[in-house]
Amino acid sequence: MWWLPRGLHPGAWWLWALGLATAASHTTNPLPLALLVAVAGRVLGRRRGDAPWALAFRMYVWLGAVIVTMRVVFRIVFGGGQGDHILVRLPEIPLPAWAAGIRLFGPVAAEQILGGFYDGLRLATMLICLGAANALANPKRLLKAVPGALYAIGTAVVVALSVAPQLVESVLRVRRARRLRGASARGMRALRGIALPVLADALDRSLALAAAMDSRGYGRTAAVPAGQRTVTGALVLGGLVGVCAGTYGLLDTAAPGYLGLPMLLAGLTAAVTGMLLAGRRVRRSRYRPDRWRPAELLVAGCGVAAAALTMLAGSVDPELLYPPVSPLTWPQLTPLMLLAVGVAAAPAWLAPPPPPTVSAGRPPAVDRPIPVTDVPADGVRAARASTPGDRP
Amino acid sequence: MITFDRVTVHYAEGGPPPLRDVTFRVEEGELCLVAGRTGAGKSTLLRAINGLVPHFTGGTLHGAVTVDGRDTRTHPPRDLADVVGVVGQDPLAGFVTDTVEEELAYGMEQLALPPAVMRKRVEETLDLLGIADLRDRPLRTLSGGQQQRVAIGAVLTAHPRVLVLDEPTSALDPTAAEDVLATVTRLVHDLGVTVVLAEHRLERVLQYADRLLYLPGDGHVHDGTPATGLAHIDIAPPLIELGRLAGWTPLPLSVRDARRRASDLRHRLAGVAPPPVPAGADTGPTLTARKIVVRYPGTVAVAGVDLDLRAGRVVALMGRNGSGKSSLLWAVQGSGPRHGGTVAVTGPKGTVDPKALPAGQARRHVGLVPQDSGDLLYLETVDAECAQADRETGVPAGTCRALVDQLVPGLPGDRHPRDLSEGQRLALALAVQLTAAPPVVLLDEPTRGLDYHAKRQFTAVARMLAGSGRAVVVATHDVELVATLADRVIVMAEGEIVSDGTTAEVMLASPAFAPQVAKVLAPAPWLTVEQVAAALDETRAPA
Amino acid sequence: MSVLRVAPRTAVVLTLASAAALATFTWPFFVPAHPESTARTGEAPLVFIVMLPVLVALVLAELTSGGIDSKALAMLGVLAAVNAALRPLGAGTAGIETVFFLLVLAGRVFGPGFGFLLGATSLFASALLTAGVGPWLPFQMLCASWIGLGAGLLPARLRGRAEVAVLAGYGMLAAYGYGLLMNLWFWPFSVGADTQLSYVAGAPVLENLHRLALFTAVTSTFGWDTGRAITTAVAIVLAGPAVLAALRRAVRRAAFGAPVTFAAASDRPAAKVTGIPQSSSQAT
Repeated sequence: MWWLPRGLHPGAWWLWALGLATAASHTTNPLPLALLVAVAGRVLGRRRGDAPWALAFRMYVWLGAVIVTMRVVFRIVFGGGQGDHILVRLPEIPLPAWAAGIRLFGPVAAEQILGGFYDGLRLATMLICLGAANALANPKRLLKAVPGALYAIGTAVVVALSVAPQLVESVLRVRRARRLRGASARGMRALRGIALPVLADALDRSLALAAAMDSRGYGRTAAVPAGQRTVTGALVLGGLVGVCAGTYGLLDTAAPGYLGLPMLLAGLTAAVTGMLLAGRRVRRSRYRPDRWRPAELLVAGCGVAAAALTMLAGSVDPELLYPPVSPLTWPQLTPLMLLAVGVAAAPAWLAPPPPPTVSAGRPPAVDRPIPVTDVPADGVRAARASTPGDRP
Repeated sequence: MITFDRVTVHYAEGGPPPLRDVTFRVEEGELCLVAGRTGAGKSTLLRAINGLVPHFTGGTLHGAVTVDGRDTRTHPPRDLADVVGVVGQDPLAGFVTDTVEEELAYGMEQLALPPAVMRKRVEETLDLLGIADLRDRPLRTLSGGQQQRVAIGAVLTAHPRVLVLDEPTSALDPTAAEDVLATVTRLVHDLGVTVVLAEHRLERVLQYADRLLYLPGDGHVHDGTPATGLAHIDIAPPLIELGRLAGWTPLPLSVRDARRRASDLRHRLAGVAPPPVPAGADTGPTLTARKIVVRYPGTVAVAGVDLDLRAGRVVALMGRNGSGKSSLLWAVQGSGPRHGGTVAVTGPKGTVDPKALPAGQARRHVGLVPQDSGDLLYLETVDAECAQADRETGVPAGTCRALVDQLVPGLPGDRHPRDLSEGQRLALALAVQLTAAPPVVLLDEPTRGLDYHAKRQFTAVARMLAGSGRAVVVATHDVELVATLADRVIVMAEGEIVSDGTTAEVMLASPAFAPQVAKVLAPAPWLTVEQVAAALDETRAPA
Repeated sequence: MSVLRVAPRTAVVLTLASAAALATFTWPFFVPAHPESTARTGEAPLVFIVMLPVLVALVLAELTSGGIDSKALAMLGVLAAVNAALRPLGAGTAGIETVFFLLVLAGRVFGPGFGFLLGATSLFASALLTAGVGPWLPFQMLCASWIGLGAGLLPARLRGRAEVAVLAGYGMLAAYGYGLLMNLWFWPFSVGADTQLSYVAGAPVLENLHRLALFTAVTSTFGWDTGRAITTAVAIVLAGPAVLAALRRAVRRAAFGAPVTFAAASDRPAAKVTGIPQSSSQAT
């Protein structure tokens, strides 16, 4: 391909995945849904790095399977048996009155199960698309892209991400030390003996960290004129009032139409503008910023196009996107749907390949062996394995 | 470059002022060494340079501190970030991000430098500090010395004119410490940065220092050249002590200096032999370990090591990081993994293997103080720790406290263990372990972070332990400690014992393990200033 | 003691945003049944999923808009790391939830504003560490933030046993509340439309509440929530006093808001009292 290997802007992957999820949300047809899951898997297979978060995808696939199963089981247990094609008649169990007159089981209709399956598959597909974004986008780079107003929170999260693995190491260390005092290392009682030294250590560390941040220039701000502060305040407050009114309008049909979605959007826009304006007082620059380059636009565009094509297909023939369960019909694919899936899959070849990974465990070329090998007991493996993103 | 004008500092919580009426100037391009015991006010002095005192810590600053013409009264630390770079003791605690490259860039991001400049400076700094091949590594997987070099690099990228280093080596082992100090001295010479350095390894930097600020601990500061300033210092490296003993003026600042002056001393000592090691009654080993094996995935940490420990003897376990010292200690104690071999501790009721006992019993036979001695402590006060230690050991109340008083007299009982100095905390952790009265005591890197004063105290404590009939093992990198303390030295490499013998045999055999005194007086077999002093007394006595 | 000052404007923003956010959880109770209105309300859940992250971001930005002190920020990051590191410990075992315990205690010690931030950052960091970012995350963040905020608003004068008891009770309530709100959020998505456990548009609030309770019971989240509530309360009772002490010690050591003063050199009480000779400290 013509791209050099590099990491893509995380926002591009997220837009692509959200596009796929939107496409999935506009159909219950199992054929395009299954194709979309396959697309997510294929793109992931070709374009993910070997960073720890890239392994999260499997978890999402499992979760999707659980959702589909749960939907079907719910339909069987609580369904109420609408449909002509009865597959099996289970004994009915009426529940007492306090349970709202619900009865369990009863006849199980094919339509009912199929409906649950279609619905569940749609949700599972959306979830799996999000899982693909989680696995493809580097969460730390995502944090670097937060707007100025959220800079402080972003920094806190960056700190949390770098400190958490150290804490896992120190938990292991303290646990070993507990045995030296003859105390057991398990149970609620041990919690105190282990959690407290770790917490105290972490709190002391936070003070050293704060001093280091101060000395390195954290908190430099640009002077903001009083007028601008008033404007940002008014925008944020006014916007939020608009959001509240819009939410009310959206849920209450008696409210005038302009109070619904339009009000909500106007309010959000005003508040976000206020927030972005307020963020201008944070004065700092970014090292090696992620830029939106053609490849990013292409990937994000593929996602958006997939969503748009599905919607278009829906407006052309809605029955094919929402195949009716009664009467039972075979789901069909249309060329438009196939095109949408094809576009969604394009990033597997169009996106730049991930950068050749520098493994974290690579032995240092110079210097003495890393001291972690001197750590006795079971700490070593856990310490190595607890890179961010792993589930310890 | 840096001016302190009649500076007095009071902290909000009261107590005597750590700095009293301090006035001095540090000129552009100087390497200024700050010396003094733990708690003498070194950190306050260093933190006042970039305004952390009092902007960050709270309190009152009388007088004025100016750096490069900027007054800290009107410039909080963040506004001095482009002039003063500060590096602390524990590099890992000061890292904001988690990879080397991002950490180098963090300070520049705060200063809002353009991306192109940042990129260029990061590359330059990677080369300057020789850490280019570490650029993508997560910070916590680096060795201590590498981490500290990254920390230095991370402040250098802002191109500060002053570099302030607060005991940059105190959390490191000697080899890593030397790396860092070599880096610092190179920066002084190559870049002309003004450096203010607090450091207790005086012998490593004295020869490069232009100025010595000595804090005796009463809030004052003695300002002078290294040679004159040394006169005030109460406890100094062996090299200086030897110089004082021999009456050399000015005092030697390096082994090379000393060796050129020492011909006379060597001559005086020619006819005398160092006192023989007191043999002591040989009662057979208290602990016998045979063919100890410890494995980790991918490596063998300890490869079939035999170990005999005798009552009343101090054994030093040496070797580079990763040579298996800690793993061996933990395996012998029984709390760590052991994949092969036997351990037998001779007790009143025959011999036992601590691994076979529950943890509470094992510590009655072998006590281990781990590298971070604070890990053993988790309560809010010294007294609570002592009471807990008595309870969990099942000994009469007050036993642990009595041990504490024996090791470090006058430790306030209501103090939080984390507010103690390194030396006091070590003593408390040791007392907690001694409450179980184990006949074998293992100490892993006990002197890391201790100043000369605390080290001397520790040496006395360890000798006392041996004197009371315990077998003591000290795993350490510190050759001076070993020279003054150990009866026997075992050197490990790659999980095997490569050298085992009396302290004199092992230490005089290789220049890597030779203490300063030995280096100065070689080929005569002297190890410590004490020995030389005793010998000189002897030669003088008949005359 | 409050580490992070909440300005009046911030409080108003927080209240407004919380009110709007509450609707994003409780909408199934309010959706009208008129068929002609489904065109308008059909998209409501999706609109809310897009709206809530924006609301959370707005509140977080507003809370930190005064420029958060580096000490508070570092404390926030480190405590969020502790929470994120604690969270997986309980994730596998039924109902053990270790996040709320420290969140409640820290909210108590550091104040409502800090508690709010800690709730959000803890869950966000934890989600990034486990790659669990999804539409549910802002909802979880907001719930946790409310818990931290509430802990900071508990009566300040309590100390000792009473304090621990109140905190444990609050922790229990908070754990149940969190479970209920997250169930409520997940309810319309997990069962789908046409079962007897699904919400019914336009039905009376009580009837829908009944159905929610059944859904909660059926999905055995009662067991989970109870487990979560109990572990939180037990952890607060057992480790609470010590953790509170550690956190308060940290506040003391950090000297938040300690007065910073400068004085002229001539104003030297210490030197006057002890009469130190001027020359001893100077060489120049």
